[in-house]
Amino acid sequence: MKNKLRELRAAREWSQSDLADRLGVSRQTVNAIETEKYDPSLPLAFKVAKLFKQSIEEIFEAEG
Amino acid sequence: MNAKPNLPNEIFWGKEYSWRMDSKVNGWLALAAVISSLTDIIFAHTVKQWPMEARVGIVLAEFLALALWARSVTQWIRGMDELHRRIMTSVMLAAVGATFFFMLLWHCLNRAGLFDVLFGKPKAGGWDIGTVCHGFLLFVLFYGIAQAICNRRYK
Repeated sequence: MKNKLRELRAAREWSQSDLADRLGVSRQTVNAIETEKYDPSLPLAFKVAKLFKQSIEEIFEAEG
Repeated sequence: MNAKPNLPNEIFWGKEYSWRMDSKVNGWLALAAVISSLTDIIFAHTVKQWPMEARVGIVLAEFLALALWARSVTQWIRGMDELHRRIMTSVMLAAVGATFFFMLLWHCLNRAGLFDVLFGKPKAGGWDIGTVCHGFLLFVLFYGIAQAICNRRYK
């Protein structure tokens, strides 16, 4: 699943650790989502959307 | 800000290793392994001469410690974030499954007499590895392999 997490994080000048702390996950999880190796659960996707004040569809895009 | 989730590397040698967390998670397993190594290997001959109640008590103590270890591991995994919870559940299943599989295979091959032919008849006991101590060593080995494989996938 494609996502804009890296751009959104960079726009706020947050490190992966900063974002991980805000989301209550580990830095490795943020990295795995950004590199598209892991698709977050629905609750985590909602948390991301709420944090960046955008809808889930604006941040995550299903492939195909 | 949210509370920091538990990390798998807290109990795996490396820069994130925490002795405190390792002893909290694996303390009961270490105790079971120590009891087993003392009673099944080092003082096996002496323990065999003890009354049956004492020997049963030792076995029950080992397995009670294993049950408490399973509880502490479950609590530790529950405190992880979703990615690591998924990884660690796979790692634990793989490590426990591989340990059971290997011990059962070894037991069947031993019963068929393979090790007596290969290594000769042992002076005492046999080539059986059906003790908690052997299980502990195998589990640590398979845990390391499974964690290395799963971690590489998400690096």
